[in-house]
Amino acid sequence: MNTSKYKFLFILIPTFFILASCGDDDPVIPVEEEVITTLNYTLTPVSGGDVVVLTFQDLDGDGGNAPTISGGILSTNTIYQGSIELLNESEMPVEDITEEIRTEDLEHQFFFNSTVNGLSVTYSDTDPNGNPVGLTNSITTTDAASGTLTVILRHQPDKSASGVKEGDITNAGGETDIEVQFDINVQ
Amino acid sequence: MYKIKRLLFLIILLPIWGLSQDCAIQLTGLILDKGTNIPLPYSNVYLEEQGLGAVSDSTGFFKFIQLCEGDYHLDISHIGCEPTSHFISISKDTFVQIYLNHHAELLDEVVIHGKSNDNSTQISSTVSRENIEQNSHKNLSDILESIVGVSSLKNGSGISKPVIHGLYGNRVAILNNGIQQSGQQWGNDHAPEIDPFIANHLSVIKGASALAYGSNSLGSVVLVETDKIRQDPHLHGSVNYSFHSNGLGNTLNTQLEKNGRWAAWRVSGTLKVQGDSKSPDYFLTNTGKKEGNIAIQLEKKISDYWHNSLYFSSFNTQIGVLRGSHIGNLTDLSDAIGKEEPFFTESNFSYEINAPRQKVHHHLVKLESKYFFDDHRILKFKYGGQLNNRQEFDIRRGNRSDIPALSLEQYSNFLELAYNQELENGGLVKTGLQFNLVDNTNNPETGILPLIPNYDGRTSSAYFIFQKEMGNLFYELGGRYDFKKWKVATISNSLPRIIERFTHNFHNYSFSTGIKYTFSEGLKTNLNAGYMLRAPEVNELYSSGLHQGVSGIEEGNRTLNSEKSIKVMASADWYFQKKLFIQALVYYQNIQDYIYLQPQNEFRLTIRGAFPVFLYEQTNAQLFGTDILLSYEPKENLKWLFKYSSVNGKDLTNNLALINIPANNLFTSFTWSFKDIQKLTQNSISINAKYVFEQQDILQEQDFLAPPDAYFLLGVTVGTNLQLNHSKIRLSLSIENLLNTTYRDYLNRLRYFADDTGMNVILNLNYSF
Repeated sequence: MNTSKYKFLFILIPTFFILASCGDDDPVIPVEEEVITTLNYTLTPVSGGDVVVLTFQDLDGDGGNAPTISGGILSTNTIYQGSIELLNESEMPVEDITEEIRTEDLEHQFFFNSTVNGLSVTYSDTDPNGNPVGLTNSITTTDAASGTLTVILRHQPDKSASGVKEGDITNAGGETDIEVQFDINVQ
Repeated sequence: MYKIKRLLFLIILLPIWGLSQDCAIQLTGLILDKGTNIPLPYSNVYLEEQGLGAVSDSTGFFKFIQLCEGDYHLDISHIGCEPTSHFISISKDTFVQIYLNHHAELLDEVVIHGKSNDNSTQISSTVSRENIEQNSHKNLSDILESIVGVSSLKNGSGISKPVIHGLYGNRVAILNNGIQQSGQQWGNDHAPEIDPFIANHLSVIKGASALAYGSNSLGSVVLVETDKIRQDPHLHGSVNYSFHSNGLGNTLNTQLEKNGRWAAWRVSGTLKVQGDSKSPDYFLTNTGKKEGNIAIQLEKKISDYWHNSLYFSSFNTQIGVLRGSHIGNLTDLSDAIGKEEPFFTESNFSYEINAPRQKVHHHLVKLESKYFFDDHRILKFKYGGQLNNRQEFDIRRGNRSDIPALSLEQYSNFLELAYNQELENGGLVKTGLQFNLVDNTNNPETGILPLIPNYDGRTSSAYFIFQKEMGNLFYELGGRYDFKKWKVATISNSLPRIIERFTHNFHNYSFSTGIKYTFSEGLKTNLNAGYMLRAPEVNELYSSGLHQGVSGIEEGNRTLNSEKSIKVMASADWYFQKKLFIQALVYYQNIQDYIYLQPQNEFRLTIRGAFPVFLYEQTNAQLFGTDILLSYEPKENLKWLFKYSSVNGKDLTNNLALINIPANNLFTSFTWSFKDIQKLTQNSISINAKYVFEQQDILQEQDFLAPPDAYFLLGVTVGTNLQLNHSKIRLSLSIENLLNTTYRDYLNRLRYFADDTGMNVILNLNYSF
């Protein structure tokens, strides 16, 4: 029997696979399109006055350097028009994620939890179904107080669940895309 | 004689006297139980070509007379056993010895392969082919759970991995056809990519040390093994179909084999489709599964001295993960924990698989060649090449749910040269050299920084085992050395992103020794001890990032050393009056520098809120436990089976229980076999019960949710066989979780989110020819 061709196979098959898998190439750094690095929450007093911008910024994403957060000082008994801007500043040019949320507004909703006495947040925008989104909103302050304001963005919440339209997160479900906390001083 | 003679497998052909007479040939035989060697009286023997039946007498003996020279197929069955078929060519009076599987629960590697080949002091247990077929709706790990001491770590009913003596993942080696499975073993939600249908049997070696099997195990090894192809020139095969009600699942497997003129071949193909499972109260939305696998086995004898085999298998699956278990941060997790019904539960059943889901491909090519210099010396060459491709899809913004969030590709190559020699004094030496190369690459398509970096790993190993039998005493000792080199390329998690390269070298060695002593036919004992090192895996060294499943940030630790394990194990097999069998095993394992994820006193702030940080650290740990198996047959047609296993795992440095240690559990079954009803044979009814205790060792601060309560599950199985002329049909109907009990299991990650599956009715149909 001609055994040499079998011997050949034994050398050929392993060699092929070993060669196919060798390599010392650099890993490719992924393009992180989806990351949200920055949240700017701009508060404009309706009847004039100083504009306040609350900012959360974490340029290198999870891990690495810690994020920088700046809260704000609000005036008493004032109505502010709020608008939220989301950016991905880790890529060049900077990507505006706000647009993405607006396009998918049926699947997103912001929630606002405040520990500041007398501070309340209401929605100013709606999705095509008439449910709130929260990219624009309004904040009303009363007496002087301080505390925190937590801004939460949920992906795929159940907007028809009880209380969700009114801004109560309890029954919303979905995944949290953003949860940031700002120190607020009303004076 | 050595392995050449083993080709005849379980049949030993012994000519009684050499005269050949036309049509006056006698075929006699003895039928024995494979597990215990006890003769099996009143077995049915059927000679297909003659349409003749016989029954073995009280000593297991049977006889056919006046046969002509020729080829025959013998079908043998016995109450309560898996029936078998054998092919024999007879030209003179012939005696055959046939082994049936009457005590399937007592099978082990030595019994399966025959003493001369796989004699060992290691303790093993085996699941037979019939058992695999009857449980075809389950995956590999769930089938292995029938072995006492084995549990499954799950992520829902579709994804599970075996836990043996409290260890799993990187610490348990899984060998698919002699090649160590190489994939992403580090993930608790990554199941081994193996179709159990490709196996003729599955074994678990509850070892103290796995010298010949690879460098990744801290003792225990799972073997997925195919038998040699039957020496039968005719085409044989089987079709197995199973339907299960919970999830409306369908599994179809076809297997064909033939000892062809050029080579012997076997082909096995499996298709699986399954929709959403259901807990007693609600559908587990998005828990479907699709799977398609194929395996091809070729065996070619180039000469009597040179045997070759080529094996190829391809495993392809897509698995849905419970929609309600996808969480963004800790708040989401605590919201989900309190829910009566998981978020996103649909009121309708669906076969659809959406994100979160996993898509996995695994391909294996294996080439094996054995050269027999003579009856005492064999040289073996083995090559195994694997490609593992894993993609995991999460719920993502901006239509990115179809872009994988994790995408890994791993090539691995394994080469082994082994040499076995029988010495003149009766000893046996087994030695080998192994080389393993792994290349793991992240696909940048994810748009996410990878959790584990790209790496390449090389391991060179050598082992040596000496075994000897001296009367009632069998002993072995051996050692192994591994040199492992990791070359890692990481991407920094601060800006600008830069690539850094690291190299790690590990020199590891293992020793093992064991004795087996047979006091009498009814009492055998085993004692074994091993010292073993395991090098840290790349995930333990370099993980970096958010692990969605556990809502925590995992950080690797580049300063980790190898784990050092000492394991001691003792076991005893008793049997009394051929009715009562007891197997008991106790073990103790001490692991210095045990690698584990330690929650840090730190929450890391991200845009999704604060996440707890877990760092890979080392501690000293111990594991000990007991496995007990009892089988009692008060009458021939009545069998009671009892299994108990307990494990205790402790972090000695911090004086805390280890997490993910199985709760103690009990299993019992009563099987009643009854008489043939015309052509229906092997009729049986079996009732089984499983009780899993509460895992009480875990403190509240060690987990987001306390371990669930103890639970009790009841099941029933009815089965029968229909023997046709040249074929056989086996039919079984079983019900799992008969009482539709609501429960959660500690080792199932979905316990945070949902109840486990409810009642399941399984219909299994097997046609073989």
